[in-house]
This record gives sequence, structure tokens and C-alpha cells, in this order.
Amino acid sequence: MKLLTMTTALALAGGAALAAEKTLDIGVSDALTGGAAVYGLPQANAVQMAAEEINAAGGITVGDDTYMLNVIAYDDKANPTEASNAVRKLLDRDGVRFILGFCCSGATGAVASFIANEDAVMLVGNAAERSITTREIPNLVRTRPPADYTGAAAGTFVAEKGHKRVAVLGALDVGFYASYVDAFEKELNAAGGEIITREAFGLRDRDMTPQLTKIREQDPDAILVVGYVEPAAFIYRQAVELGIDVPRYGFTSGSEEQFLRVATSEQMEGVWDLRPTELTLLSASENGIAYHANYTEKFGIAPSPSSPYAYDQTYALKDAIEAAGTVEDTAAVAAALRELPVPDEVVMQYLPVDGKMFDVNGQAYTSNGAFQWQSGNWVFVQDLPSDAAAYSAFLSTID
Amino acid sequence: MMTLRPTHALWLAALVGLALLPQIIAVKYYLHLSILALIWVIAAQGQNLIQGYTGYVSIVQAGFIGIGAYSTALMGIHYGLPVWLTILLAPLVTALFAVATGYPSLRVKGHYFAIVTLAFNLVIFIVLMNFTELTEGEAGITGIPRPGGSDGWLDWRDRETYYYFVLILAALMTGLAALIVRSRIGRILVAIRQNEDLVGAIGISAWKYKLFAFVTSAMYAGLAGAVYAHYQSFINPEIFGVAQSLDAILAVIIGGSGTIAGPVIGAFFVVFLPEYLRFADSFRLIIYGLVLVLATIFMPRGIVGVATGLAARIARRGK
Repeated sequence: MKLLTMTTALALAGGAALAAEKTLDIGVSDALTGGAAVYGLPQANAVQMAAEEINAAGGITVGDDTYMLNVIAYDDKANPTEASNAVRKLLDRDGVRFILGFCCSGATGAVASFIANEDAVMLVGNAAERSITTREIPNLVRTRPPADYTGAAAGTFVAEKGHKRVAVLGALDVGFYASYVDAFEKELNAAGGEIITREAFGLRDRDMTPQLTKIREQDPDAILVVGYVEPAAFIYRQAVELGIDVPRYGFTSGSEEQFLRVATSEQMEGVWDLRPTELTLLSASENGIAYHANYTEKFGIAPSPSSPYAYDQTYALKDAIEAAGTVEDTAAVAAALRELPVPDEVVMQYLPVDGKMFDVNGQAYTSNGAFQWQSGNWVFVQDLPSDAAAYSAFLSTID
Repeated sequence: MMTLRPTHALWLAALVGLALLPQIIAVKYYLHLSILALIWVIAAQGQNLIQGYTGYVSIVQAGFIGIGAYSTALMGIHYGLPVWLTILLAPLVTALFAVATGYPSLRVKGHYFAIVTLAFNLVIFIVLMNFTELTEGEAGITGIPRPGGSDGWLDWRDRETYYYFVLILAALMTGLAALIVRSRIGRILVAIRQNEDLVGAIGISAWKYKLFAFVTSAMYAGLAGAVYAHYQSFINPEIFGVAQSLDAILAVIIGGSGTIAGPVIGAFFVVFLPEYLRFADSFRLIIYGLVLVLATIFMPRGIVGVATGLAARIARRGK
């Protein structure tokens, strides 16, 4: 009898150990190297950190089983072919069913073009191209709102500031930056303002004085800068050096640390960033403050403002798996994501549509905010007008 | 009686091996890479005609791949043409662009030709990126259909089906390249590479043959682009830049410039090696670059050259 009891106890212990040892691989495809790594690498780090937190808190519970997350991250260099290869590798070789990350639109678009045919769920982060969530892909959701959703709010804000003649300097060959400016212009025009010039720069350009000199000659009321962090920082710096003394607005989502690599705090003083209400320490919620502190401690560098899109993906996935009660049936998990309320642990300030984090298109919406550089920090000044429900209805009308 | 020469036996073995590949490999990811490699075989065979046989290093092959990819996608979207027809028309559209660019480019030689073609690749990239009304710019074109309708007897969504389709195309285009280089035209191309002035001195109009090589090379690229577009279902300008043109050049150099087998080996090399190096994370591209530099220094005749040299040495020892 004693032997039987011991055997039973051992079997139970063994069973418990087996349950505890269950591992769920999740994949990350993101730009870990190259120019877009300023967005992609922090996203990959954020997924890793969220996974460790989830594991430390006991993992993901599915029925009687508990799953610990294991993150497999591959570099897609923000390149469409590389992203296809990375995701094929995750799906076909590593057996991963849940893929997160995706900072950049071109690479994301390539994967989105085939993911509907795969037994997988794709969670998109920072990639802002609108068409990613207009294709009615049932197994894809995105945490970042499209660029034009924010651009419209920014246009209204700048018009309310009384600016009538705005000069644009941007990475306008990048689709989502162009769509931000288009939406911005529409709202500015509605308020009686106009964009007097659209000057473009390449993502690798560093000397923008020719464009700024031309803009200075046109005597604008304000300038709007849209593009990656580093070239934007050069523009802000060179605008000061050229004596352009008009308000500078932007759409960059760069952290203080990223801007200060190029420009001084004095040169940045007064610059506005009109973007989704992403992580900024002075505006962050309790979750945001904890995220900032934990990330900084773990990686030795402050997180980029957009990195929590990926952190939030991980918690959304956890809740969806638990709600679906399966890690095998990806269709059920994808459906659960569409029904999910905003998880308690997320960092971004999401605006639920019909009480759900993701709308029928799989799109989440954050509030938009006006941030201003004041004495070395991005300071949250005010919310921008953001009607998530109306935009969601608009998004559903696009083919 | 026709005898089976060792090279023919090797080609046959390679073809049989490639035909059996989908049955051998268990992980479909490698099938995906093999499809990309076979598409690169087509592009690299074209590059080899102008670079390896004619001696003109063209840095516009990825641009031409892009023209092929976009033309097949746009003809399908805007004119509703069937996929098979657009795949056939794509190389012809690319040829038109190649004639327009080749005519001025081939007036210069050596490094100048390389620079002019590089400039053309930059122009193609900028147009693809900025002519958003037509190309959708950086967002790219999505939903490009596979060949065959939903009621066809072949399942074109199955990668195995597409693999065999691309394998047949790659084999046919390799065979066509072999026919060209063994013809009178091919001999003149090699003569141009060896001594262009002498070719002119004996009354051959070299520029016609150079233009032929350039346009044919572009048609290969256009076909590769069309096949790529219908495989990936998505294209954007990112993958048709100068970096990819350099990959085409490398495929020829690494495999063996001026040989038919070289581009086949080189294409698999440039597709598979970066993927195998993923374990090295951020050191991946450094290792890749280092391997390429060392290979170029120590194997100037490419893998085919090294293999041929070894075979000859073994044969001499055997005697």
C-alpha cells in the first residue's frame, strides 16, 4: 500500500512536472539590424520581457495545462523577402503558430499577403500602413493604429493653433508617412489652412539644409516633419542652425535618447510630436512607468515610445489563448483576439471599439496625443481628437 | 552512337536530385528557399550572359526583375489578363525597357557601363517608390494571384506545385542559355569579352551583339520577376534595389562566371547561405560578407572553376 501511495505520488509529481515543463514557442519577426532596428529591436526586446513576466507569473493556463513562453526571434531587416523567409522558417521549421513583432510596413505587407493561408496568428506592432488591416485577414490583428488616423487628429490640432501655411518635410516615399500627411492636409484645408510645399528626403539622408532653405524662403507659419527618428532629429537641428523660427511639428515616435544622439536639448526645445499616445515617461500610466523601469533595467537603455505595441501584443495573445482554451486551434485564438477586452497589463492607452481591444478589422486604436519637448523630455500636453469608432467604421468601407 | 559525357551525367543527376527534392525534404521552409533559389537561377543565368560571357558587369538586374514583377501584376490588375499571359508578356515588357536603357548604356565600357546601369537601377527603384498611383509605392501591391484558377486540376497554393513549375522554367532557361552560348552568337559574345576591338576589326558589329546580350539578360530577369511576384503574392520596391543587383553579380562570380553551371550553384549559394547564418544573429551579415570576400579572392573562377580544377588534377593523377 505504501509502495502504491509512493508510486501514485511520484506519478502525480511527474505529471505536475510535465505540465510545468510545457513550452509554447512564439515567434518574432522584426528588424533587429539596419535602419529600422530603432523600432524593431525594442519591439523584440519588449516581447522577450513580456514573455519572461508571463512565465514568472505562472505562464499561460489552458485547461489543466500551463505553458511557459519561449521566444524565437529572427531578423527581417524590414525587408519583404527576408520577412517572408523568417516567417516561413518560424512556421515550417520551428513549428511556431503565433508570430509577433512587425515594426515596418513593407515587410509586414509581404507576410500579410500569405498569412491567411497559414495555420497561424499574426500580431502586428508598429507597422502603420493602413492597408494591413483592410484586407479582412481573419488571423491578423494590429496594436498600432494606422498613420492617417493620427494624421487627421494632428491636422486639426495644428489648425487650432492658428497656422494657415504649413510646410511639410518628410520621408514621403514611405506610404504611411504620405498617408499621415494626406489626412493632415485634409483637416488643415477644412479649417482654411494649406500645405504650401511638400519637400521629401530619403531615410538615409542626413543633410536637409537644401529643403529647409527652400522652406525658409516660402515663409511658412509652421513646419511638419514626418520620418524616422534620426533624419527628423537632423532636420530639427538644421532648422535651428538656419534660423528658422517657426513652430516645428513632427510624427516620429522617437525617444529622448534617440533624438539627443543627433540634436541638443536646446535645439529640440519646443518641438511637437503629434502621434499615438505612446510611451512617454511623464504621461505614462502605472503600467507604463513599470514597463519603462523594467525595460531600462533589463536592457540598459530606455525603451522606444513605440516598443510597447509589441509588449501589449504578448499580453493580448496570452489572454486570447486562455479565452480560447487552446494553443492548437489557431482559428479559435484568432477569433478570441477579436472578442478580447483590453488586457489589464497593457502599456498603451487603447480606445476599445464596442468594448473590444480589436475591431472587426483586427485593428486596435490608441488615443492620439500632442507631446512637446520641454527641458530634455517629451512632455504630454494634451489629447488629440480621436474617434476610434468612426475611424473603425471608415476602415471597414475600404477594399 | 551518342555517349554520356561526365558533365551530362552531372547535369542529369542534378536535375533528378532537384526533381526529387520535395520528396526528400521534410521541412517545407527549405522548399520555399529552393523556389526562391530557382527564381534566382533564372535571373543569374541572364546576368551571366552579359557579365560572364560578354564581359560587361551590369548592375541593373534587380531593377529588371522589378519591371517584370510589376508588369505582370499591373497587367493582371488593370487589364484583367490571365496570369499565364502576363507571365509571358512580362519579359517582353522588360525587353522594351532594356532596349531603351541598353542603347545608351552600351556606348560606354568597363566601369562606366557598370555605373550607368547602376544609375538605371536607382531610377527604376525611385520610380517604383514614388509613382504611387501605379505602383502603390512602398506599401506595395498585394493579392497577386497564383497561376491556375481555383477549379484547376493543380493546386497552385501548394508550394510543391509551384516548385516544379519554377524548376521546369529554370531548366528551360538554363538550356536556352546553353544553346545561346554554344551558337555563333555565343562565340561572338565571348570574343567581345576577350577583345572587343578585334571583333570590330573583322567587321562584326559588336554593339548589336552586346545589345542582344543585355536585352536577353533583362528578359531573363523579367521572367524571374514575374514568377517571383506570383509566388510571393506581394511586391514592393524594397527588393528591387541595387543590393539585390549585387546579389545577382555575386551569384555569377561565386558560382563561376562564364559557365552554365555557375549561376545555378551561385543562385542557391546567395539564397541559402544568409539563411543558414541566421544563428549568428547580428554577426550574420558580417560573416556573409567575409565569406563572399574570401570566396572572391581565393576562388576567382568560382565554385565551378575550383571543381573543374580538382577534377582535372584527379584525372591527371589517374593517368
